[in-house]
Amino acid sequence: MVNALGTLDALSAYGRARGVVTSSAPQPLPSPVAGSQGSGAEFGEMVASAVGQVGDALSKAESASIRQVAGKGDLIDVATAIGAAETALDTMVAVRDRVVNAYNEIMRLQI
Amino acid sequence: MDLEKSVQVSASGLRAQSLRMRVIAENLANADSVSAGPGGQPYRRRIPSFRAEMNRASGATQVSVTTIKGDRSAFPRAYQPGNPAADAKGYVLMPNVNALTETADMKAAQRGYEANLNAIEAARTLTMRTIDLLK
Repeated sequence: MVNALGTLDALSAYGRARGVVTSSAPQPLPSPVAGSQGSGAEFGEMVASAVGQVGDALSKAESASIRQVAGKGDLIDVATAIGAAETALDTMVAVRDRVVNAYNEIMRLQI
Repeated sequence: MDLEKSVQVSASGLRAQSLRMRVIAENLANADSVSAGPGGQPYRRRIPSFRAEMNRASGATQVSVTTIKGDRSAFPRAYQPGNPAADAKGYVLMPNVNALTETADMKAAQRGYEANLNAIEAARTLTMRTIDLLK
């Protein structure tokens, strides 16, 4: 989850930088999304909820494993829960990589 | 996503086949279980029955085991006068378990389990490859 927090930091930094740029620029560029003044924060929320979902999947897998180790669980439940958690985490990591790449690209822009 | 649901459906298949495997193991283990005394019943072979079941949450049709019922075929009789379970004529009612039938059923359960495992693996591979599109 450290990496995911890093993503959130990057996003908020991106949002701040975006705020500075738009406030200093006399004519802000038209945004593709209408009324997207707070879209940086909304995107952050979206990412945060995605991270939360991954956390839920991971904790489900963990509790299934714990039940299994305690001798009360079902091996099939453990396998499917861990598979679902793995899928969720991989999706999250892939999306994070894309976001960080986009952020780095924006940071490399010459102003 | 539907691939997740297909994993759940296959997991229900795994559960059903493993329960069938358990019932077969019970039948095989009790292939020689006779009654304690004369006039009693020996072990009756048990048969699980599967049923297609709609999962309301996911909308997918899963499999579930409805009942495990006894095999209604007659008990074979064996002449064992010394057996404590023998009747006045010396005959003992034996369980109606046929080891050959059970072995064939066990193979079928094994193959069914493997088929579901392969389906899970295929769904997982497809999911992972879809995620790889993002990378």
